[in-house]
Amino acid sequence: MSIFEYNGSALVAMVGKNCFAIASDRRLGVQLQTIATDFQRIFKIHDKLFLGLSGLGSDTQTLYQRLVFRHKLYQLREERDMKPETFASLVSAMLYEKRFGPYFCQPVIAGLGEDDKPFICTMDSIGAKELAKDFVVAGTASESLYGACESMFKPDMDHEELFETISQALISSVDRDCLSGWGGHVYVVTPTEVTERILKGRMD
Amino acid sequence: MKLDFSGLESSAPLYGGNNGLLCDGFSDAPSFDLPVTSDFDGFQKNSIQMVKPAKGTTTLAFIFKEGVMVAADSRASMGGYISSQSVKKIIEINPYMLGTMAGGAADCQFWHRNLGIKCRLHELANKRRISVTGASKLLANILYSYRGMGLSVGTMIAGWDEKGPGLYYVDSEGGRLKGTKFSVGSGSPYAYGVLDSGYKYDMTIDEAAELARRAIYHATFRDGASGGVASVYHVGPTGWTKLSGDDVGELHYSYYPVEPAIVEQEMTEAIVA
Repeated sequence: MSIFEYNGSALVAMVGKNCFAIASDRRLGVQLQTIATDFQRIFKIHDKLFLGLSGLGSDTQTLYQRLVFRHKLYQLREERDMKPETFASLVSAMLYEKRFGPYFCQPVIAGLGEDDKPFICTMDSIGAKELAKDFVVAGTASESLYGACESMFKPDMDHEELFETISQALISSVDRDCLSGWGGHVYVVTPTEVTERILKGRMD
Repeated sequence: MKLDFSGLESSAPLYGGNNGLLCDGFSDAPSFDLPVTSDFDGFQKNSIQMVKPAKGTTTLAFIFKEGVMVAADSRASMGGYISSQSVKKIIEINPYMLGTMAGGAADCQFWHRNLGIKCRLHELANKRRISVTGASKLLANILYSYRGMGLSVGTMIAGWDEKGPGLYYVDSEGGRLKGTKFSVGSGSPYAYGVLDSGYKYDMTIDEAAELARRAIYHATFRDGASGGVASVYHVGPTGWTKLSGDDVGELHYSYYPVEPAIVEQEMTEAIVA
């Protein structure tokens, strides 16, 4: 098994009408053994910017801590929050700095940019950005997630329909993956509120 | 009386020399063209590794006062991908003997059916049922003759014969063990934990079934390669019966119901655009 599959993870982010949703599974494992069923993979950078990190658990936590540090410095200097596009460039640069000894993570960035326009992107472990207008996926269940999202996604969904769609896509995909699942964690973000929900899934 | 030695005969192909141009169809062994590769030994090892499925499963069986309890999960996995959640891992060899499947699905299914045929032939030739000892020995001898060829079988033969309940563990390395409690597969350490702490010889059928079910459930929770449905079978003096087949996802919430958590509602200033 590759190092990216050591801990197991599943991440997906989707764009709706003036809102976005980001969802992850909750398992932390050591190859086939499940260690925890409440592992946090999605982190809030600021109220309108969320970062999901899939891949090796240790690297996701380290990378998150470094990014929060950089963002706090930015907030002190610029006296405002980072725009999602800027943050994506920051993540990409930090990952490429480690080109020959990379972080074994695949980040998913989701935020509301200028005029509350939803922004999502993903990148590989050395910082190649992939901007998408509809959805992005990452993790061990990514192939199943691509299939589920492709069939379930519709443009311009409102936040309730978006929540249902992303939850169904996540749950059905992780049910086909040995290394991810054991519940789900979904954040739905609109310009006025952030809703965090835990999904009840198969615990096998 | 002519003894039936067909179970001991190896049907493995004999390795005759591949004479190339001299060979005009009279060679004993079936042969194939060698693949074009610089590292043939590595290639052979890699291809066996590719075909050899990991024993991603949980099966268990134990003997108690009322007979033998046999249980298994139902997930088939190919590396990280779940190929099926509804595989029958408890194989019905005949109405009074069960075999469990761990390892290669094709290997287990084929050789258990083959064992069933041999048992029936024994019955017809000897006018009495074969013992669990005899059946497990037949299977073990067959698997031993294929040792090193990449078969992957980790099975338990459970049955009731004249001597009472019988349980044997047989694997593709040629091992055969008699015992009262076994668990096989990647989820077996977790199942053993529950089984060992809850086992008593004097249990009723219901208590034993619940112990077996619980053990499989806990293994499916912790092991990524086990899941699906927990099937429980009982082998008694009149043969085997299927007691239950519970979806493990639902079992979790019946053992550990979700307590509604106090939801924190944070009121902060909404940034009006």
